[in-house]
Amino acid sequence: MKARTTTVGGGGSSWLRIETVLVVMLVVLLVVFGRYGRNFWTAENFFEVIRLTVEIGLIAMVMTPVVLSGGIDLSVGSLLGLCGVVFGKLWRDVGMTPLAAAAGAIGVGALGGCLNGLLITRLRLPPLIVTLGSYSLFRGLAEAMTGGVDNFTGFPRDFLFLGQGYWFGFLPAQVPIFLGVSMGVWVLVHRTTMGRALRVIGYGREGAIYAGLPVDRHFLVLYTLAGLVVGCSSMIYVAHVGQAKADAGTGYELLAVTAVVLGGTSIFGGRGSVQGTFLGLMVLAVLKNGMTLSDLPSELVGIVTGLLLLTVLTGEVLMKRIGKVGREGEG
Amino acid sequence: MIRWVGGLGMLGLGAGLGGCAKPTDKASDTAGGGGGGGREVTVALMPKSKGNAYFISCRKGADEAAKELGVKILWDGPTEPDPAKQNEIVETWVTRGVDVIAVAAENRAGISTALRKARTKGIKVVTWDSDAEPDARDFLVNQATPEGIGRTLVEEASKAMGGSGEYAIITASLTAANMNEWQKHIELTRVAKFPALKMVALRPCDDLKDKAFNEATALLNAYPNLKLILAICSPAVPGASEAVKQSGRKDVRVVGLGLPNDNKRYVKEGITPSVILWNTADLGYLTVHAAHALATGTLKAGATKYRAGRLGELEVQGDNILLGQPFVFTKENIDRFDF
Repeated sequence: MKARTTTVGGGGSSWLRIETVLVVMLVVLLVVFGRYGRNFWTAENFFEVIRLTVEIGLIAMVMTPVVLSGGIDLSVGSLLGLCGVVFGKLWRDVGMTPLAAAAGAIGVGALGGCLNGLLITRLRLPPLIVTLGSYSLFRGLAEAMTGGVDNFTGFPRDFLFLGQGYWFGFLPAQVPIFLGVSMGVWVLVHRTTMGRALRVIGYGREGAIYAGLPVDRHFLVLYTLAGLVVGCSSMIYVAHVGQAKADAGTGYELLAVTAVVLGGTSIFGGRGSVQGTFLGLMVLAVLKNGMTLSDLPSELVGIVTGLLLLTVLTGEVLMKRIGKVGREGEG
Repeated sequence: MIRWVGGLGMLGLGAGLGGCAKPTDKASDTAGGGGGGGREVTVALMPKSKGNAYFISCRKGADEAAKELGVKILWDGPTEPDPAKQNEIVETWVTRGVDVIAVAAENRAGISTALRKARTKGIKVVTWDSDAEPDARDFLVNQATPEGIGRTLVEEASKAMGGSGEYAIITASLTAANMNEWQKHIELTRVAKFPALKMVALRPCDDLKDKAFNEATALLNAYPNLKLILAICSPAVPGASEAVKQSGRKDVRVVGLGLPNDNKRYVKEGITPSVILWNTADLGYLTVHAAHALATGTLKAGATKYRAGRLGELEVQGDNILLGQPFVFTKENIDRFDF
């Protein structure tokens, strides 16, 4: 039993880890909704659950290394809206093909992320403050571009396939993308030096600097990457809903952080895992889906999510007190 | 890594078992089962937003019809207008399997995708209050013809303005089909019969009273000669009236589509000379009735008339089931109503 965890695996005793708790919770939800939800335990629903969670899921996945590094990105929801609006404008008003317009929109996403990264590294401002500012900035830009009201619809069928189509009749088009990005983020966080560096930076930023880690470069790459992924998610969102509007993605940043924290990543940084986020996402998605299939009104989902989050976090603290898991919260 | 494989494996196992498992012990309410034989019809009913008083009043009529017909109603939707959430709930309903989905669509194009998917699974689809694309639904339950609504609005506006002058429109959103239809007919009627009226602005308020208040205040500041605000969504009428009241501009009136209870105060004070609507509970009642009839095969495409319980025989124009004519609430009659 280690006195203090280190990095790659997330450390601690194998039985009482947060992922175990989440898996158990997931199984419980699956059983409960299997009993009370209509058509819950079908292959079709299984794919729908993942499909409907892809947009927030992509953001949550890339948010994991961000939170792991001790930062946060509150601007992701607004950036989603902005990218969607840019896409709409490029396609409808500039006349680009959907592919080119999407590339442009994703590029804008990366630029937005890069802006965050630059402000964080050059101005030495906390990510919370910077992304709070860009949260308003991006949303404002989106609303200015549309006069607050314009929205873009009528996209060609080929583009809409991205959000509404099914490969071979059953695999939703966005699911392979989601799984691919998730694997990519997992590799980044758990198998690359950058991932390890981010964890160390989250654990103790000053120490990382003195250890000679290129903190600024990592942050710049990280936040730009986050923006890029948000851009991709935005394209899937627009294809799924069939419209691009400035207020798209409102509240997504908090949902993403909820999934990340539920998955066991500490909000202070330094501790967490990508698979935890994935499990957290699945728990939230199954919860929402199961409740609707059980004919429960959608506003209850918020209450249950909140209770779930508090339960899991309390459980985590209790486990630490028992002394078997990881390090104490603050550095 | 192990954990992830374990987690995915768990889900895979769940899906595999689910593929073989029967969906619970309940009597199969899956889609496409065309009624008949005493099986309970399930109607999934969705407003534009659950928090809107207009839709809450529609629900009362819906519940009445449900009790009368023995229909099970699933009432769900976003608390504030949100096209993405509407789609998500509709898609989950498709998985659940219902007999009919009845939606007041916030975004015409967006919701149509989900509705078309529902139809391919054999679920009947009606829209009410605000339409989707015609090939995405079987019928539209329309509260009144767009011509009737547009015409009544302009007539009342002209009365309030003394026949000429500048007016501005506050609408809900630029994507809701009903709003666009009504605006079209407002303009057509205006051009044909009331050319002395001039529209100077069109602002959306996202079906939110507070936003309507802000928009109205901005309009009052921007257009000093404004004589009337035409608020064509129910939260906007009291919002705009309050803005007019607080601005102290005695020469500006508000006319619009709204609920009597929301506007009694302003009607009595003279700010809002008339409020136009229809019986919202009847709209909810008719929607559920029509949905049930669709599910049991009583109502089919091509019908020209439809008998809807206590509403009697109603006209069906093409694929529009019409509730009736708009009703004008004024100082004289508004106290007779409580919704």
